[in-house]
Amino acid sequence: MRFAFILLFILTSTLTNAQKIDADLLRIKQRMDSVQQFTANVILDLDVPFIKMPTKAAKIKYAKGKKMEFSSSDFVMLPRRGLDFSLNEIFKYPFITVDRGTETRHGKVLKVINVIPTDNRSDLALATLYMDTRASRIAESEINTRKNGTYNLLMQYAPGNSVLPAYVEATFAIERLKIPLNFMGKDTKIDRKKMRGMETKTGKIKMRFENYSIKLS
Amino acid sequence: MRALLYAEMLKLVKQSKTYYALMAILVIELLVFITAYYQGSTILDLLLDNLKQSFYFEGTLLNGNLIMYIVLNSLWFNVPLILMIVTSGLVTDEYKDGTLQTVMLQAVKKWKFILSKYIMAVLFTVTIIALMMLSTFVMAYSIFGQGDLVVYINTLNFFKSADAFNRICWAFASGTVAMVFYSVVSVTLAIFVKDSAKTWIAAALFLIITNLILKVDLGVPALNNYFFPKLIDTWQQLFYFETNWLAIGINNTILIIYCLIFVTAGTYFFNKKDIG
Repeated sequence: MRFAFILLFILTSTLTNAQKIDADLLRIKQRMDSVQQFTANVILDLDVPFIKMPTKAAKIKYAKGKKMEFSSSDFVMLPRRGLDFSLNEIFKYPFITVDRGTETRHGKVLKVINVIPTDNRSDLALATLYMDTRASRIAESEINTRKNGTYNLLMQYAPGNSVLPAYVEATFAIERLKIPLNFMGKDTKIDRKKMRGMETKTGKIKMRFENYSIKLS
Repeated sequence: MRALLYAEMLKLVKQSKTYYALMAILVIELLVFITAYYQGSTILDLLLDNLKQSFYFEGTLLNGNLIMYIVLNSLWFNVPLILMIVTSGLVTDEYKDGTLQTVMLQAVKKWKFILSKYIMAVLFTVTIIALMMLSTFVMAYSIFGQGDLVVYINTLNFFKSADAFNRICWAFASGTVAMVFYSVVSVTLAIFVKDSAKTWIAAALFLIITNLILKVDLGVPALNNYFFPKLIDTWQQLFYFETNWLAIGINNTILIIYCLIFVTAGTYFFNKKDIG
């Protein structure tokens, strides 16, 4: 009887905790929200098995409440996901968080939480956030969406207490290309086996941010 | 030799056939240019469709470099036939008009006479390609501007604008070697066949067979790498992301050697046979 009571107590307290939003996440969000606007140069390196692209450079401009703007003299491909530093995508609809304990990654002890949306309108299915609670920053995240697949983000920061990352690596699934035959070079060989094996591949985009100009509130 | 070359140049400049050929090439170029514009946006839509799900695009790929690449793809099949008709005419017209006998009555060495024909065929081809290159560059860049180039050869290859421009220039240079080869072959065919209509048919047949063999696996690596039909599209290799300049250099050198073989064979045969 006493054992059942303890079990019930643990279960109830866990469920009660689960309904709350993690305080560290709220603190990180609050910190991110202090960024009113920023501009930076971004150096992009695309790593997709069927795409060969030289290193590209672009400028990004962010202002709170507005869409991020990009400009470049080259043709650049910027990831649809991975540049949401303000965590707006996660905070767009109501959610709950579940504490998953801690994990050591790249020599740092990170707090792991699951973000589970409670609103069906959210495209987010489940997010796992790895938080550096001492520095109040997100270090890594695994985002599962309903419509846009899964992607992982790895963020590294310059030494000090910078709010925004100096390096972001976004990993995502990408479908193989469907190329019309008449655009294939004469030397293009069609290897059906290889093509079937390439239905979906993992792509990676590495972004190095330089010359930040940040305006905090 | 200089006098012979001058005479050949005069014949080429004076004959209306040359200007018909120039007009035909310009018409082809213009048509290819227009289709390249419409093809360009469709190609880009198809190429980038999958990527749109994962990326935002900044900048445009429908630019002068893409148009130039599509034009390059089309020209190297359409232009050789016209070049072959004009250059073979350098020899067949002499047979048809009976001027060959007249020339041979002068103190002109046969090998020098035919060699001047070959040299003029090469000069004419290079001039035409240079004109084509200049006109397409002017049209493509003035209308569509510069920008990065995207090409699909096993992988989707992106090249920065300046790099793309360099590669296109080298592709024209490599394509010129292929065009010179066709011209040299047509002069050689003219020496053997003599009749202009028959030479045109033989030239067209040569062109078609070469293009067919280009796509066929011959089974033997040496043939697949160095048989002349396989060297015609060496210019495509300039659009691999990692360019093998040595292979491109070797291919073009071998194609030049093939040209020399055809020139030597034609000159030898012309020198040996009676003019009648």
